[in-house]
Amino acid sequence: MAWLVLHFLLIISVSCRETLRLIAQGPTILPSSFKSYSQKAETTVSIAVGQHLSASHPVRQALATYLHISGIEASYGYFAPNVPGSYKLVFELHYPDRRVEYALPSVSSAAAAFRIAGLLDNIGRTRFDPLREHLVKVMAQFIWREHPDVETVRAIFGSVSLPSVREFEHGKRESYEFLYAYDFSLQNEPPKPKNH
Amino acid sequence: MQVLRERLLGFLFPDGTDQWLAILRVGLGFQVTFYSFSLRNDWNYLLSGAGNGVVSRNLAEALLSVESYFVPRLGWLATLAAPVGLSEERVLSVAWGCLLVAGCGLVVGLACRFSAILAWFLQLCTAKSGGFASYGVDNFMTIGLFYLMLSPLPDRYSLDWRLRELRPKNPQLLGFWRRVLQLHLCVIYFFSGLTKCLGSGWWDGSNVWRALVRPPFNVIDPEILVRWKYLFPAAGISICLLEIGYPVFIWHCKTRKIWLIGICAMHVGIGLTMGMYLFAFIMIILNVAAFGPDLVRAERARISLRPHEVIYESGG
Repeated sequence: MAWLVLHFLLIISVSCRETLRLIAQGPTILPSSFKSYSQKAETTVSIAVGQHLSASHPVRQALATYLHISGIEASYGYFAPNVPGSYKLVFELHYPDRRVEYALPSVSSAAAAFRIAGLLDNIGRTRFDPLREHLVKVMAQFIWREHPDVETVRAIFGSVSLPSVREFEHGKRESYEFLYAYDFSLQNEPPKPKNH
Repeated sequence: MQVLRERLLGFLFPDGTDQWLAILRVGLGFQVTFYSFSLRNDWNYLLSGAGNGVVSRNLAEALLSVESYFVPRLGWLATLAAPVGLSEERVLSVAWGCLLVAGCGLVVGLACRFSAILAWFLQLCTAKSGGFASYGVDNFMTIGLFYLMLSPLPDRYSLDWRLRELRPKNPQLLGFWRRVLQLHLCVIYFFSGLTKCLGSGWWDGSNVWRALVRPPFNVIDPEILVRWKYLFPAAGISICLLEIGYPVFIWHCKTRKIWLIGICAMHVGIGLTMGMYLFAFIMIILNVAAFGPDLVRAERARISLRPHEVIYESGG
């Protein structure tokens, strides 16, 4: 019985925390004054899942382990409150003979394509620049192995804006907005980001 | 107080058959099998570490370690196999093979408990090591396999029961684990519905359109979709109401059938129109296992009562 109470307390705490985070980040149909309340409430709810403890604290470690092994570490707000736009990563491959080719991260199944899309969403959403850079670099390295003759690779990351129904009817199609570019060369130099 | 306690215990430990467990076992077995096959060609591509894969597995595992050192991951298997000279590529291939075998084991009900634990462990390793490229289906598979491995296996439809004559050690917990799954689904749909209700796009249908044209879910040509634009607001509101109303209407015998069919139809729709077959399948399995067997029983009970009703009517 104690396990059941703890189990559902954790599920509800994680779900409440993520819901409050969505309200705090907005936009939602709620008035904007709810944002500050949600932020405060989210901090309070985070205590229930041990987020206020230090990362190495045994209680926090135990809770995190349990949340992960039971699959309840994430909330269930898929495509909520609104469906976000998607992201696109294009690799510009520069050959020694000045030839330029373009490549996209490709997979052989639809199931894997969802994972690549999820990866691009994570790259797009992260606010931590070094993490974004590292994830793009790993993908660029993979592309490089498939095209070993390439001299330099430019990774161009952008967001895809989706048209509304009305815009689509008036001929507007999805558009691509540049966000970041990273240059990689064979000399293992650190990438040179070119933001916006 | 005593009455309340008894009612609570009665609710949490209901009597019941193992039909739901058979549905969950077979369904998750197929899910694990399809999951393995769907990633067959991209398995190493997605899960290799140390610069060999498209996803940074090492980074995902390092970030996971910040949260907890004890969550299973593929890196553990690679580390264990390194001293015996097994390459990472071979370890990943063996892990894929074992996951497939575990899935098949669950389908036929052979070594049910071992298969459930193996499937849970390997699927968890895959989901956590591919952290940046994981999505909803991974969470729901972990949830389903977690409950399955803790439930009183084997069920009467498994080969373990029929050929090996194995019996569950705690059959009285059958109802309890089903109740846990039922309650968990209620929380899932309630919060999913609540967060959708907070977005204006679900009320005017624009989110339905965006979900259907967003890459890589854009399996239907937008030129065809736009002809159905008047249905989008109804679809968006129906999704919100189905999800947020789930914890209320799924329990009542008069609305259960409608809600279960509605939710399953929604997932079939997601599968067909967005190409998310694995996601649709796992959700349908969890729903049918949790609430489906009652419907079949209710239907049977209604049919068996018919002769009496007829006699009563003709007698009256």
